[in-house]
Amino acid sequence: MGQILSGYYIYMFSLLLVFIALATILHLQFGVTGIANFGLSIFWGFGMYAFALLVLKLNIPFVLAVILATVLTGIIALVLGRFILNLDSQSVLVATLAFLVIIEVLITQEKWLTNGVMGIGPIPFPFDFGVYTKFVYFLIILLFTVALMLYAGKLHSAPYGRLLLSIQDNEPLAQSLGKPTFRQKIIFFTFTCALAGFFGAMAAPVYNFLFPKYLGAEVTFTLWIALILGSRKRLFGGLVGVLVTVGLFDVLLETVVPIPEQNAVILYNAKYFLYGLTLVLVLMFRPSGILGDKKRSINIRNTSKLEKKEG
Amino acid sequence: MPFLDFLKSTLVIGLLESAPLMLAAVGFTLIFCLNGFINIAYAENLTIGAYLAVTFNAMLGWNYYLSIIPASLLAGVVSVLTYLLVFRPAMKRGVGKTEMIILSVGLSFVLRFGINLIYGSELFNFNISKTYYLSFFGMGITSTQLICLGLALIIALGFYLFMYKTNYGQIMRALSDNENLAMVSGINPIKVSILVWFLAGVAGGLAGIFTGVFTWVHSSIGWNVILVILLVAIIGRVGSVRGALIAGASIGIITTAVTLVTQPAYGEIALLIIFIIFLKFRKAEV
Repeated sequence: MGQILSGYYIYMFSLLLVFIALATILHLQFGVTGIANFGLSIFWGFGMYAFALLVLKLNIPFVLAVILATVLTGIIALVLGRFILNLDSQSVLVATLAFLVIIEVLITQEKWLTNGVMGIGPIPFPFDFGVYTKFVYFLIILLFTVALMLYAGKLHSAPYGRLLLSIQDNEPLAQSLGKPTFRQKIIFFTFTCALAGFFGAMAAPVYNFLFPKYLGAEVTFTLWIALILGSRKRLFGGLVGVLVTVGLFDVLLETVVPIPEQNAVILYNAKYFLYGLTLVLVLMFRPSGILGDKKRSINIRNTSKLEKKEG
Repeated sequence: MPFLDFLKSTLVIGLLESAPLMLAAVGFTLIFCLNGFINIAYAENLTIGAYLAVTFNAMLGWNYYLSIIPASLLAGVVSVLTYLLVFRPAMKRGVGKTEMIILSVGLSFVLRFGINLIYGSELFNFNISKTYYLSFFGMGITSTQLICLGLALIIALGFYLFMYKTNYGQIMRALSDNENLAMVSGINPIKVSILVWFLAGVAGGLAGIFTGVFTWVHSSIGWNVILVILLVAIIGRVGSVRGALIAGASIGIITTAVTLVTQPAYGEIALLIIFIIFLKFRKAEV
């Protein structure tokens, strides 16, 4: 039992949870508020690396390091958001993409700080329960992921959520009604990116060793395809999408179905080929994703009275 | 190095090295101009062009300069195919501008990793029979590279002349400005669109082929520069081929300047920061 709990499966499931959390964050940013953030993996990765550096180089205790990493990520998001969030959707997408590349290059370059492609680590867990350590940590991640989804769910029916949706639907209209859309976008963007950083920090011990590729375009892209595939407007879109993509490819195919060594590269290329193909096909033929579009009903009280009147 | 030398090298090298970039920017601008969306998959036009040239040159044994012709023409065909099979149907289905960009990123992944699946992940090199080594303004360069850069420059200018001095070029620009008016004037939008995508594909393919002379040919050569191409297109005031040429040259010069002083990576970062700044200042706010 102990072996299973601390083995490869726990590693995969923990990461799966983190990806689900990230996809849900992306859902909040793009599906709800309409911010096409192509650099989400940067904030996640930044949180991860910041946490690692705080713990390894400055010897800061775990909890404090997580908090600091989250805050730092939020600051980066604030600066970037302030700069680009009043641009139109295409520009935001492209600007965040550029940001992604910048940070990717920086992290690989600044070897004195991040060790480049050699990786930084090993990153210890905050506690030690022997063979059950990883499992307990997995439960903690599960807790936070569930909390995030609960928050997102609440957001859908709350007035604040409707404000965000209105920003996506018709921002000039919202503005004309007096809503400070730019400010709201910045606040929400900062908050959700900070959350991404939080999950990055939490993911660090699971990975144990950090490499620049964790922030790369491939991670962002995987998240995007997961979200679009799963339905960007639905709360569980991220979850479904991640299970179908990462769950299928990284968990199922690589663990349950053993792939011989020589075919590993082919699998890698085939994976992203299929991801791209799926993205193209979904956007062309079923843009609302697997779960479809969200049905938004107007909440009229005393509908029965209305019906009686009309009948 | 002394400042005057620095200036000289920067200008000359920058201009030459940006020639492929200018070509790519021109092609990219044509598409953006005509259809109004950012086609990230354009990156793969370059990559495909380079790989096709490698196929003719290294695999089929053709002379390098000879391979440029079929390779670039085929790249144009591929470009038209992406238009007819993917982008045009998508636009007809009402896919929004932002989603089109995401779609093009998806297509880019399909093409790039498809190339990996077909050709394998190894690096390729062109098989050039005779080449001389020269010293050009203090920079080591082969005669082939020099010729390629020269060709790129000439072709870029050719595009410029085509767009601004010929009938067809005028038609294309008219169509991009106002499709309805153009149609009413008897211009067939589909035929012109196909021509535009073909030319854009050829331009991109050529850019890829010429870039491949300086470095290894691998599946990311397009992807690596697509943002810079986008930057050049945006700075050059999207819609203006002339602008794309000028911007391309300037970018090349700036990059060279930064690279000479620091490291190549910082040059890239500087460009991307300029990119974000330009996005901010040229786009209308929401």
